Amino acid sequence: MAHSIQFIYSPDTRPDLACDRFLEETSCAGNTGEPIRGVKAKMALIEIYKLTKTYGNGKGTVEALRGVNLSIEAGEIFGVIGLSGAGKSTLIRCLNRLETPTTGQVLVDGQDLTCLSDSELRLARREMGMIFQHFNLLSSRTVAGNVAFPMEIAGQPKSVVKPRVEELLELVGLADKAKAYPSQLSGGQKQRVGIARALANNPKVLLCDEATSALDPQTTQSILALIQDVKNRLGLTVVLITHEMKVITEICDRVAVMEDGVVVESGPVIDVFTRPRHPTSRSFVDVVINQTDSAETIGYKPKGTLVRILFIGEAAQEPMISSMIKRFRVESNILQGRIDHIKGTAFGTLLLDLEGEPSDRRQALRYLNSLNLTVEVLANDPDA
Amino acid sequence: MTLTPNMFPMLQAASWETFYMVSVSSLLTALFGIPLGVVLVATRKGHILGRIWPVNAVLGAIINATRSVPFIIFVVAIIPLTKFLVGSSIGPTAVIVPLTLAAIVFMARLAESAILEVPHGVIEAAQSAGATSWQIIWHVLLPEARPGLIQAVTITVINLIGYSAMAGAVGGGGLGDLGIRYGYQRYMWDVMLATVLILMVWVQVIQSLGDFLSKKFRR
Repeated sequence: MAHSIQFIYSPDTRPDLACDRFLEETSCAGNTGEPIRGVKAKMALIEIYKLTKTYGNGKGTVEALRGVNLSIEAGEIFGVIGLSGAGKSTLIRCLNRLETPTTGQVLVDGQDLTCLSDSELRLARREMGMIFQHFNLLSSRTVAGNVAFPMEIAGQPKSVVKPRVEELLELVGLADKAKAYPSQLSGGQKQRVGIARALANNPKVLLCDEATSALDPQTTQSILALIQDVKNRLGLTVVLITHEMKVITEICDRVAVMEDGVVVESGPVIDVFTRPRHPTSRSFVDVVINQTDSAETIGYKPKGTLVRILFIGEAAQEPMISSMIKRFRVESNILQGRIDHIKGTAFGTLLLDLEGEPSDRRQALRYLNSLNLTVEVLANDPDA
Repeated sequence: MTLTPNMFPMLQAASWETFYMVSVSSLLTALFGIPLGVVLVATRKGHILGRIWPVNAVLGAIINATRSVPFIIFVVAIIPLTKFLVGSSIGPTAVIVPLTLAAIVFMARLAESAILEVPHGVIEAAQSAGATSWQIIWHVLLPEARPGLIQAVTITVINLIGYSAMAGAVGGGGLGDLGIRYGYQRYMWDVMLATVLILMVWVQVIQSLGDFLSKKFRR
């Protein structure tokens, strides 16, 4: 059996105590060499290295993670997006070892989580708050009781807990609900309690496991704004997973796109969003900007050249279409257009039907290209 | 038809015996049955004490075996243990031993299913906050399962009233014993009716109390 070989890692890890859930999946699995420990020099706050997670054994194995490498910098909001089954949930749960990785390493602030004993792990978990899709509040406790919970189990005296609870409820805007029970709250309010609870022990990291997926769009907005706000105020590092690109564009600095247990693309959100390289990333982007060629869907027949223009940042503020029309002998028929904002950066798409002599059209296109726009010719009229 | 003249002192004595048997064994049952239920949940594979799952398997087998023995046989079978514990195998105090043992395993299963109702996500939230297994049991599982546990205790107490009548037949005394010996064997219909009515009232009161408390804690 596989588990017989798994108890031979670092001498200070007691395999019988090291694992929360499954006897056969002890920590440090696969790290036969020296575990990286206490190495703090020039590292990102969270380093994920060759992480794998396999459920079950024998025929029914499921590889949820198949070698994930990521580094998450201190102070950023890092998003992981993927469809259900992509492994993103497993990934975030490996970050506080709710899920024990099969092989690989998770370093948080230089500390390898996969090699911690139970008691070390509990201390490490207090440095990381977590919020959940279904809030997971204690129904038997009041709002204040829920927020107090992490401090109580950390052994904080009442004199510390009480003012801290008030402060946290103030922070999330629920000061008037301290005595209410979770069943009396709306979804958004429950998640606010979840956030207050996650922040109770002054964590460095906030993990958000589909935190807005059970909320309506408006409430999602307000919860995202709250996450952004507490991140700025408290200098947190936020890792969030979601299947909604809107969540990513709303608050994330960087994003990783996951599919089938691996990261297929990652980078700053604006880059991944405007120039997705992987088909999965593209499909997520399409959902948000609704870029599916509506000209085609409405059966529009171009009179000239059908172009799609992507403009980012300052280009979005330039009157480039009107200057193009002035400079070249072309007419433009705007079929569709929209401007989105990604973390304050304007980002727009425009679908134009460019009419005029073919040579004029070519000149106009060359001009647009020179403006550092992404110009894509979708179709030409038959006789051009 | 006339009422049996000395019926009331008899009923009073028997009621007291039944009350004594049921209350002491209920207390002991809750005291041991709920922790046993906690162990049955926590030692499941993948639960907070999942690494000692063999404990779960062994306990489960013992509980199933105990529950499969008919109570009347169980009372007789453990007479040596009863004698060892209370020095006698006859009388209300002696009957408390089989009553409690039989009810503990029943209670354990009911408590187990009540505690299993606690959503796993809540346990994970506690884990991610750095709670120990003991803290999860004490601060999460038990308080969250409280309404269900109250229902489980209610059902167990009512069952104990029924069991106590059976135990009466093997020398335990109490209302069941009175009903059988006087009401049935001596054709005293009024005694029979009175014992049944008293038990009915008790069961109603206990069930209502249980429902009230359970509802009070259900948020």
